[in-house]
Amino acid sequence: MKVLLKTLGFSLALTLLFTFVTYLLPQVEGEAPVEKEVDLSSLTMDDFITLGEDLFNNKGTCTLSHKPAPLGRAPDIQGTDMIALSDERLADERYQGEAKDAAGYMLESMIDPSRYVVATWGKKGTSDSESPMPAIDKPPIKLSTIEMDPIIAYLQAKDVNDVTVALPSPEDAASVASTDQKASDGTTLQAPAATVEEALGKYAGNACHAMDSSDTRVGAGLVDVGTRLSKEDIRQSIVDPNAVIAEGFAAAMPADFAAKMTVKELDMIVAYLLEKK
Amino acid sequence: MNDKRPSNQPERPSTQIRWGRRLWIALSMLLLVYGLVQAVEESTTLNRITPIGMVQVAGEPLITKTTPDIADVDTAEPIAAPRPSRSDYPNIGVSSRAIVWILAQLHLFFAALVLAVPLFLLTIELLGVYTGDERYDNMAYEFMKISLTGFSITAIFGGSLALALFVLYPDFMGYMMHVFGVQVLVYAILFFLESFFLYTYYYGWNAFRYGNLKWVHLSLGLMLNASGLTIMVLANSWATFMMAPSGVNEVGAVVGNIWEIMKGPLWNPINLHRFIANIAFGGTVVGAYAAFKFLSTNDPDRRAHYDWMGYTSNFIAILAFLPLPFAGYWLMAEIYAYSQQMGITAMGGILAWLFIVQAVLIGTILLAGNFYLWAGMSRTDGSDRYKGLIKYIAAVLVVCFLIWVTPHTLILSASEISLLGGSYHHILGPLGIMPAKNVAVNLMLVATFLSFQLYRRSDKVATVSWAPMGNALMVPIYVVAIVNIIFLGVYYGYFTNTVYKVGSSVAQVASTLVVIIAGIILDTLMFRNAKTLPSHWGRIPDRAQYALFALPIAFTWLMGLMGYVRSSVKTHWHVYTVMKDNSPDNYIPTIAYAGNMITIVTVLFLLCVLFMFWVANLSSTRQAKPAAGGAV
Amino acid sequence: MQTNDNNNALSMLISIIVSFMIALTFFYGLDHLVMSMQGLPLNPDLSPAG
Repeated sequence: MKVLLKTLGFSLALTLLFTFVTYLLPQVEGEAPVEKEVDLSSLTMDDFITLGEDLFNNKGTCTLSHKPAPLGRAPDIQGTDMIALSDERLADERYQGEAKDAAGYMLESMIDPSRYVVATWGKKGTSDSESPMPAIDKPPIKLSTIEMDPIIAYLQAKDVNDVTVALPSPEDAASVASTDQKASDGTTLQAPAATVEEALGKYAGNACHAMDSSDTRVGAGLVDVGTRLSKEDIRQSIVDPNAVIAEGFAAAMPADFAAKMTVKELDMIVAYLLEKK
Repeated sequence: MNDKRPSNQPERPSTQIRWGRRLWIALSMLLLVYGLVQAVEESTTLNRITPIGMVQVAGEPLITKTTPDIADVDTAEPIAAPRPSRSDYPNIGVSSRAIVWILAQLHLFFAALVLAVPLFLLTIELLGVYTGDERYDNMAYEFMKISLTGFSITAIFGGSLALALFVLYPDFMGYMMHVFGVQVLVYAILFFLESFFLYTYYYGWNAFRYGNLKWVHLSLGLMLNASGLTIMVLANSWATFMMAPSGVNEVGAVVGNIWEIMKGPLWNPINLHRFIANIAFGGTVVGAYAAFKFLSTNDPDRRAHYDWMGYTSNFIAILAFLPLPFAGYWLMAEIYAYSQQMGITAMGGILAWLFIVQAVLIGTILLAGNFYLWAGMSRTDGSDRYKGLIKYIAAVLVVCFLIWVTPHTLILSASEISLLGGSYHHILGPLGIMPAKNVAVNLMLVATFLSFQLYRRSDKVATVSWAPMGNALMVPIYVVAIVNIIFLGVYYGYFTNTVYKVGSSVAQVASTLVVIIAGIILDTLMFRNAKTLPSHWGRIPDRAQYALFALPIAFTWLMGLMGYVRSSVKTHWHVYTVMKDNSPDNYIPTIAYAGNMITIVTVLFLLCVLFMFWVANLSSTRQAKPAAGGAV
Repeated sequence: MQTNDNNNALSMLISIIVSFMIALTFFYGLDHLVMSMQGLPLNPDLSPAG
């Protein structure tokens, strides 16, 4: 019995010691992001910028990596004038993206970070050709386009640059509301593209098809597609690309657009392509 | 009962057909080949990581999703994961998470124990067969007997856990049942198989003790382990599915078959990690049992038996413990490959502080293990030759331990920085950063191996002619390896870029492994036919036994802590990126709260284990018949 | 006797020196091997060559 008490006492003392160590450490709770209800149609520009700063620090989790040297895992953003820097990057010969201005560059680096990797910050072993940053329009961060605009506005405003991003239009606000509706039904999660450019960007249409020439990339050039195909044919080639394949091309096009695209996005793209004559 | 046995054995030992052994070999090969085929099939990273959303493997291009046949999408409308709101979670007044936490952890502790014990005992039984030393067999049987109740306790906690989950998280469990469907049936069937093998293994122990029948018994043990391990990997797939779902699309609708759902990117790393950790865990618990028995008796024979039992189980536990950090590296690397976000949450966010507690726990384990080895040297007369070295090993261990627990720079969010009053911890110095810790950890492992090697040598004198040369080679290996570990850590860690810093830690680990492997090979060759000095089991100070209690306590606590990290990296998701957790407990609790919870489960586990031992001892006690006419 | 002891001591010294050389070469090679396997080549003086 004495042995039992001694060994039990020893064991309890040891567990309490371990517990005590946890009390010495900083006590931080990792709160789940709070989904804020923002009425997008009644925002002022100041609200918009504040919203951007909040998204940058919290839901976007940008500060997890982007922080001042030597702490950061990624270039410091808040301590740098990103607009001036973006212009330098766009002029860099290593730049492979399609952005024309600073705002476009920032949007592009959020949804497709590997388009331009800042020297020395690339993924190990890829000699800066690939970025370790997750695309922030995808899970787990998953910001919508409507949420990326205020971040850009914030990045522009913080160094007293002109804000070029427009406030969301009432239609956008309405479409976000309807996405939320849909999302809760569990059918779709991504915000539908509002314009045809966005839609093409979202489904990487430009990656395989040249839109303004008949040059072949992975898929056929689409500059004159409107003369070659009818509306129904275009629709079919997107929804079921392997049904009819243009001569000389492999069946490389993703077949799941039907499941991913919203009806409105598909209509926009079809209409856009039909105009290409 | 077993009259046949003694006469059967000596009669025809050499002419006997060894079918029992062939059965054993065939079964082992079958399981091995099956395991290898599975492992090779899984071997490319791209195969293992079935993409969901944005998946990228370090150094590889973005993985594109294999396009599902469009016809399938049209015909079978996939059911997305439910999106419960807060009111969908039943509120019973106490934290649902706390209830599930306690039940899950107790279930896991006991599951680990009842998986570990047969694995551990099969090893001991095999050792007994190969050495012909009956002590091994007796010890294995004794421990099988006392852990038998453990299987029922595991099932009871498992049932309570399932019940609690279904009541408290109905939507989540509904979804999991929908995803895993058929697999749950397989799981139930495996339970029947495991029980069959468990009871035949235990009750057949003395009936199948020698010759061919012994191999039949070993085969039963093998099948018991095979079914137990299959149960474990099935259950692991639920946990890894929650961390890194595969076989479902972005909204959680099932698009793959059950195999694709199970073989997520983290499944095999977790399987390996738990398998190794289970052996070590089982070993430490058996060690504590032996230590308790040792302390409670004064009979020299029994003390010798339990001293030997404690030593053997501790030996196996430490041996299993040494490769565990490497399995941990693999798991972390796969987590980073699966999701940078998740990796940073674990290693650089608020959870990073907990690795200081982990350092304290592993430090405790290493110090206790070393202390036990040093104390055990008093068993042999030949140990005086090495005692002088102990104080230096102890000094290295303590210094490295202190470097290891020095808090380091963390990746903090803005709110965390303001909470700490600055992004640097105030004790932060050059010792607080990762390269210094890597040096410390590797040196601790090298020092532990040195203790171990000296202990193994303490009762032997080498007789081979090249023994001085062997020592002349062993010393430079230690010296150069230590210099190399320090050089790699200091030079690449402080004077080159991040990429080389990370890469050098692999070279450090390789140096440590070289020392361990070279030491084992050299000693095996050098002490072949060595002169053995007398050793006296039972001649060990009582205080050494407390090291055998410290080990399971620290180990249990460590398992609880790592479970908290593993579950918390999902942050506010039930199933990462697929099903959000909207319950009131969807935040990561503070580390002190987690510390309290872990202590509660550790103490409960300790009490349950005591109960298990006590019940087993009841079966061997028989009440004396009261005197006639005594009170009823 | 004297020469024999000297011989022993000498051969011991040589074997220690040789062992050190072997260990140094081995770990030097190990560093190169492990680092280059990760795509991080080293110069002969062990400084990064990337």
